[in-house]
Amino acid sequence: MANDAGGAAAGIGASLLRREDERHLLGRGSFVPDIKLPGTMEVAFVRSPHAHARIRGIAKPAGGERRVFTAADLPRLRPIRVETQAPGAKSPPWPPLATDKVRYVGEAIAACLAPTRAEAEDLAAQITVDYEPLAAVVDAPRDMQGSRHPVHEGWSDNLFSERVFAGGDIEAAARAAEITVRREYRMNRQSGAPLEGRAVLAYRDWRLDEIVIHASTQTPHTLRVAIGEILGIDLRRLRVVAPDVGGGFGPKARLYPEEIILAALALELDQPLRWVEDRTEHLLTAAHSRDHHYQVTAYASRDGRILGIDAEIVVDAGAYGLWPQGPYQEAAMAARCLPGPYAIANYRCRALTVATNKTPMGPYRGVGRPGACFAIERTIDEVARAAGRDPVEVRMLNIVRPEQMPFTSIGGMRFDNGNYPESLRLCAELLDLPGLRSRQRRGEPDGRVIGIGFAVFAEQTAHGAAEFVARGAAIVPGFESCTARILPDGSLVLMVGIQSHGQGLETALSQIAHHELGIDPARIAVRHGDTETSAFGFGTFASRSMVMSGGAVARASRALRDKLNRIGAHLLQCDVAAVRCRDGAVRGPQGSVSIAEIAKVAHLRMDGLPPGVDPLLEAVATYEPAVGTGVFSYATHGAVVAVDPETGFVELLDFAVAEDCGTMINPMLVEGQIRGGVVQGIGTALYEEIPYDEAGQPLAGTLADYLMPGAAEMPAIKIGHLHTPAAATEYGMKGMGEGGAVGPPAAIANAVRDALSALGAEVNETPITPRRVLAAIEQARFRVGGPTG
Amino acid sequence: MTAIRVIVNGAEVIDNVAPRTSLGDWLREGRNLTGTHLACEHGVCGACTVLVDGEPIRACLMLAAAGEGSEVRTIEGFDADPLMMALRDAFHRRHALQCGFCTSGMLITAWDLIRRGKASSAAEIRRGLAGNICRCTGYTNIVAAIAEAATAAEGVGDGE
Repeated sequence: MANDAGGAAAGIGASLLRREDERHLLGRGSFVPDIKLPGTMEVAFVRSPHAHARIRGIAKPAGGERRVFTAADLPRLRPIRVETQAPGAKSPPWPPLATDKVRYVGEAIAACLAPTRAEAEDLAAQITVDYEPLAAVVDAPRDMQGSRHPVHEGWSDNLFSERVFAGGDIEAAARAAEITVRREYRMNRQSGAPLEGRAVLAYRDWRLDEIVIHASTQTPHTLRVAIGEILGIDLRRLRVVAPDVGGGFGPKARLYPEEIILAALALELDQPLRWVEDRTEHLLTAAHSRDHHYQVTAYASRDGRILGIDAEIVVDAGAYGLWPQGPYQEAAMAARCLPGPYAIANYRCRALTVATNKTPMGPYRGVGRPGACFAIERTIDEVARAAGRDPVEVRMLNIVRPEQMPFTSIGGMRFDNGNYPESLRLCAELLDLPGLRSRQRRGEPDGRVIGIGFAVFAEQTAHGAAEFVARGAAIVPGFESCTARILPDGSLVLMVGIQSHGQGLETALSQIAHHELGIDPARIAVRHGDTETSAFGFGTFASRSMVMSGGAVARASRALRDKLNRIGAHLLQCDVAAVRCRDGAVRGPQGSVSIAEIAKVAHLRMDGLPPGVDPLLEAVATYEPAVGTGVFSYATHGAVVAVDPETGFVELLDFAVAEDCGTMINPMLVEGQIRGGVVQGIGTALYEEIPYDEAGQPLAGTLADYLMPGAAEMPAIKIGHLHTPAAATEYGMKGMGEGGAVGPPAAIANAVRDALSALGAEVNETPITPRRVLAAIEQARFRVGGPTG
Repeated sequence: MTAIRVIVNGAEVIDNVAPRTSLGDWLREGRNLTGTHLACEHGVCGACTVLVDGEPIRACLMLAAAGEGSEVRTIEGFDADPLMMALRDAFHRRHALQCGFCTSGMLITAWDLIRRGKASSAAEIRRGLAGNICRCTGYTNIVAAIAEAATAAEGVGDGE
């Protein structure tokens, strides 16, 4: 798959090998915990063991002054508060260190400092907190309208927000229906679980009069904005650096209390401070995700054409809203994605976001889409079953066809282009569907049953201002920037506002500059993740960085090219219209001058510049796609499973993805993102869950009880590509970072349903554990045979 | 404090360590060998895998004091190793890493699998990687890279 970067194969469309690899392969990467500063104090937090309790008092050990800090010791700490213009949305304050109440297990109460982490933990163990425990709110559908002790004071219910999305006439669809399918689905709570947890190193730089914060984050610029606001200091006194980041996947795209607290302590104390999250802290306190509950009613004609969808979505968002976007986007996104890539005319969906005494929920690869895809794609299979037709046929009957593009779904998503039915056909081909169906009929020699399942989805990517304004966001991540600077020797530095933590953006962005300027990628540096180097940017999330930052790199490179051409034409003594910048030189009719020579003139020999042209080769450009509502990648995922009806164990035999993300800048990186996303989606489907008990205690606190997918259980993942360039972006790119994680839960659940069809069992909840499979089989037997068998 | 004498990447080191300090923390904080990554700190994820007396172990589960008299080899100690060079080259060409956080442990585990002749098929490699979690790549390219390096190593002897 990978090929060499030889010849012209370094520009757009080349699988250029990554410039990021060498340091990691040698063990010389630089993650936050790798940065050493003399005199660093380690921080450990006192965290709430209760899901819901009033704090009556905090007792510090003698001699704890300047080593133990509570909210009372840091008056500078103002509460985190998410601004929103979403109608009816509630936004409770979140004190970075708890004051009078704790609202989830793991909430920070005090910061303890010592020369080593072990000693800091010893100190934390000496703090006594006097709690008055309260009944915890743990069941979102049950407790959303109210509870004895609401999560937030002054609330009559536990609702962050409630919205209704509707289009067409759902009552008419209900009256016309020949098939009605009702189902309840759950996608349970999980962790994003990047392999590196969160980490913060903060210190005061006296010379520059600033606080420097190294953080394992996807969003350094907006982190700086938030910390400046909350601590009340000028942004010119704050620098945020995200060095190597060991995976993000969404949870690191939010502001956390620990980041604010470390910055506040760095202002207070004259020594560096470091907090490195351990795995239990990560599972307890980094953003949780998913936790969607669906009730879906589908109305269809006898042949399986969907006439309408009536649904209620309840999202358990935990105790607080994470800055900047709060808890609201998850349910709204799920509601808008629930009609899927289908031409459905009638829709009604009530979307509720519920506060509970659990860890705050944040984005994780796919955000609201995996849950919505799970609910609609499981429902389509049940409609097909009721119609007595193959699920692929019923999808083909309902899917948006290429000639309908651009198509605005009843959920309000504006699909720009593509051939959705072709992705379904290609995916079935990659799996050899006819061969699998005959194998199914023959049966398995080991007594297991096999099943095949599909999921089709369209993924909104690189959405700009229009989308975020419509969501009611107070922070509108509508653009990215690039500062491109050619140095006196002709090498190029691209300074960008995004953050690359595995995506390979250092490589892919250099390919774009190479395409525009012809400079060898080996002579291009990409600097990201540092508020000091780039003008501004929102960071890496929402499948936006390649489109947005890539667009900014393209524009800045072109601005540089114009200036190179003007200087080059002058040096070649010809008209600027007669020159072209190509392969690292400006070429005219009579000869050429290299970019290095032009760069020398622009910096060291300004006497060679044409009249009216300033020295330096530097351009700052911003970019937003021409359409602010996003460009849509799409895919069909197909899963083949073998289920053991005796043990309930599900083995994944095969998995295929047929996708279209427009123009691929680097196909090797695209396929890496797809496979990585798929395996995360398989984790959601089969393994990963953070259950809570009735007291609000989380039951997965280590990787021994939180199962992540391993190499031994994963199939090799087949990929097929379609190519429909976007009209609204540079080069026709579409974002594609998240899609891999969207389809697997639905495809695998449909495959399990297919395998268990003879038994009449279905599993409508993730993860599909052996216990849940056996329970579904048992329930199906009970239903068929009655209570006495 | 406990006095220890350990060979780290071929050089003798004499140090005093707190009895509760893990080998991983000591290598990172005491020896500045930050290529050994700590990700779960309870022996599940394999990111901190190093060799102790030639055997892969979890540096998070072993106490530094227990390393007394032993030979420890971290990712930084493989720079001139032919088999590791082949693995690094294959990981690069096969796009077998993304964020890089699992990579040190993956490489050392892979090196050990090939040396023990336990990398003869994709299925065997996948079983051999059961103790190393990668959250980014989905494993396909890691398995392919190890298979390729194993094939190349067959012609190079035992890789040392």
